[in-house]
Amino acid sequence: MRVLKITVMAALLVMAASVAFAGPTYDRVMSTKVVKAGLSNQGIPFGFIDDKNDWVGFDVDMAAEIAKRLGCKLEKTVVNNNTRISFVQTTPSKVDMVLANMTHKRVRDEKIDFSITYFFDGQKFLAKKGTVKDVKDLAKMKVGSMQGTTSIVNVTAYLKSLGNANPKVIGYDGEVAMFEALRSGRVQAISTDSTLLLGYAAKVPGQFELVGEFISDEPYGIGLPQDDSAWRDAVNFAIQDIWKDGTYQKIYDKWFGPDSKYPFPLTSKIEMWP
Amino acid sequence: MIKRYFEKVWVQNLTLLAMVGALAYYFTFIFEFKYDFDWAVFFVEGQYGHMGDLMVNGLNSTLTITLYSAVIALAFGTIFGLARLSSFKPVYWLATCYVEIFRNTPLLIQLFFWNFALPYAFPEEIRFKLFEMDFEFWCATIGCGIFTGAFMAEIIRAGIQSIPKGLLEASYSSGLSFPQTLRKIILPLAFREIIPPLGSEFLNNMKNTSLAMTIGVTELFWSMQEVLSLTYRTFESFIVATAIYLLLSLIIACLMNIVNEKLKIMPRDRITVLRRIADILFLPVDIIGNGLEYVFWYLRKSPEQKTVSPIARLFKSSIKTLSWGAKILFVAALGYLLYLLGTALMNFNYEIIWANLPALLIWRFPNGDSSEFFMGLGGLSGSLLMAIISITGSFFIGLFIGMGRTAKNNAIKIPCTLYIELVRGVPLVLVILWFYQVILDFVFKLEIHAFWAGTIALTFFFGAYIAETVRGGIENIPVGQVEAAKASGLSYFQTMRKIVLPQALKQMLPALVGMFIAAFKDTALVYIIGVMDLTRAAYAVNNRTMIYPFEIYTTVIVLYFIFSYVMSLYAKRLERKLSPESVRIAM
Repeated sequence: MRVLKITVMAALLVMAASVAFAGPTYDRVMSTKVVKAGLSNQGIPFGFIDDKNDWVGFDVDMAAEIAKRLGCKLEKTVVNNNTRISFVQTTPSKVDMVLANMTHKRVRDEKIDFSITYFFDGQKFLAKKGTVKDVKDLAKMKVGSMQGTTSIVNVTAYLKSLGNANPKVIGYDGEVAMFEALRSGRVQAISTDSTLLLGYAAKVPGQFELVGEFISDEPYGIGLPQDDSAWRDAVNFAIQDIWKDGTYQKIYDKWFGPDSKYPFPLTSKIEMWP
Repeated sequence: MIKRYFEKVWVQNLTLLAMVGALAYYFTFIFEFKYDFDWAVFFVEGQYGHMGDLMVNGLNSTLTITLYSAVIALAFGTIFGLARLSSFKPVYWLATCYVEIFRNTPLLIQLFFWNFALPYAFPEEIRFKLFEMDFEFWCATIGCGIFTGAFMAEIIRAGIQSIPKGLLEASYSSGLSFPQTLRKIILPLAFREIIPPLGSEFLNNMKNTSLAMTIGVTELFWSMQEVLSLTYRTFESFIVATAIYLLLSLIIACLMNIVNEKLKIMPRDRITVLRRIADILFLPVDIIGNGLEYVFWYLRKSPEQKTVSPIARLFKSSIKTLSWGAKILFVAALGYLLYLLGTALMNFNYEIIWANLPALLIWRFPNGDSSEFFMGLGGLSGSLLMAIISITGSFFIGLFIGMGRTAKNNAIKIPCTLYIELVRGVPLVLVILWFYQVILDFVFKLEIHAFWAGTIALTFFFGAYIAETVRGGIENIPVGQVEAAKASGLSYFQTMRKIVLPQALKQMLPALVGMFIAAFKDTALVYIIGVMDLTRAAYAVNNRTMIYPFEIYTTVIVLYFIFSYVMSLYAKRLERKLSPESVRIAM
């Protein structure tokens, strides 16, 4: 019985201790010198596992750079489309920032905070070469998108606007399943942010092409815990510094430059505060 | 002093109430929740549509998949269960292969195989035809059906084999023919043996349909995740989905109970209320059965018809040749299948398998970076490690909870029962998400690696199952032994430790090994929270290589199979060692 009592006491103590350490993100990051970043591992070329089983990508490089500027060690955590919001929503947050090709939306901003836009993207369609002559063709096609993203909502609305009252849109579990569906012919087109589409299309060069215009703007922001303005400032300043000294351009060119696998011209400038 | 008080029921109930009160007080006043519930999301049309409708649609397709796959499973189970009893060896081999392969690999990886690899076996035209027919839905339905069917086949086989040989001999020697024996002796007895475990398979099947989400079927779990990611209402969506799953489990469990009650043999003067309800519900079935009996009696052969006419004789002898023909045809078909399988295996790109095998076995160990679990350990060894840790932990949880459930004290019994039933009524994927996103985070404010979150979830999940095994073991101990122990002055814990548990545990050993296999297979589900277990590693490798789904998934299935099968053989050996009187009967 005594053993039981001691175990219970110890368990209670551990619980109490873990409850006690819950402070604002900024203080914690600055005191522990560790910044935890939530990153996708399915979003080519933002965060994915490469041939050497390394976790790489634009978001991964950005996270590493931000951590470097803050003088902290980076700790990477996997998030997916369903967890990328909830991981910074908890108190204390599971991760300190989320870079997972996440569009800055007002609905999302009600729940968590966002940094300034660090990447500009828009949604498009990807289909087998030559299958889509006219954008109107898309209306009758079976289109794949991803569960838990705004892409699927946008696609459904867009196809409805093209004149199909009951469009067939399937929400797959992540980018891989979505692209696989297009490749195997389950769906005739897929739609999400154009850079992701480029990333996957580059896996089998020459077979797929982007079609149509951008159907929505997708400014990416870094997801941050709600109401921690010191932390938000620190991240924003870091992003602006990265832009200012040209490191942003370097990282951008590494992934999206003209010589890269996924060429995507940089058209916008990030917000700079003098 | 305290002990004597605790024997009174009102003290027990009061303690229970006090515990509930303390918990409620803690969570409402002391605990910092920082979360405001907004149930309106399910009733109000939001920016992204009506979330309530989404959930109802999800429930609808969960029910459809559950029903269809249950029918498929029953059909497969009956066919292969009977085939397992066949004395014609090729049929027996085929059935055994089916049962062992599908029982010893995770459903998740089976679904991946059907969904990602199988379509490539067909030429393009057929493939596109398939995809036009709601492929994912049927993939999930048939996949679940085939998986559950393998378990049902074993139950049906065991049920039919459980009939003592003496009964059969007696029935043959009293002049009954084989169809008569089957109808009058074997089936009634076998059904009584088969139906209770079959019911729990239906329940498992319902919970397993939640995995259809991974291949993009919009069932309940998918809807829950969609609501979660469109409204960011973690608690609301989790609670609603959990409540629906619990309700479905409860309904299935109730039906099972009624059926089981109907099957019980009970004296006429001691008929329970539940039995009366069951009798009323089964009245139509009874009437049909009795009616059929009359029809059979009316259509019986009169004695003069029993002289064999030449045509009948011809017919009988031709049946023999026909069955020979069927056998030859069957063997030929099987041979062709093996040939196809062989050529497919010959054409495999073994370089790809070989190059990715290390990743599947250990993932990046020991070159992983510091943020990964244990230097990047994952793949098969990660799965095994997780299974070992969680089954060890759940053994202790199960031991205490199982003992608690058999206790007479309400204050202990009710919480234990609640824990067991709650955990068993919810799909494991949902339990994992609860632990990963809510319990460890919000309630205990712990920040741990996803690997540990998954391990803890598995531990608590299997704790409930082991508790049931423990309870079964304890209840199997003859009452006389416990009374004797009490009479000789041993306390409750001494009785448990010295008399009951050693025997119960010995009986439970095979079941525990079985539970370990289940845990090993179910580590596949931590895929959903991004732990690099064998399934996730396979997914990542397939994602990278893209054009070799057959090679990758077959390798993974083989890896899972080898380990599970070896353990199941070990469990069988243990069982035989512990109960030598099991003898196989031939029919």
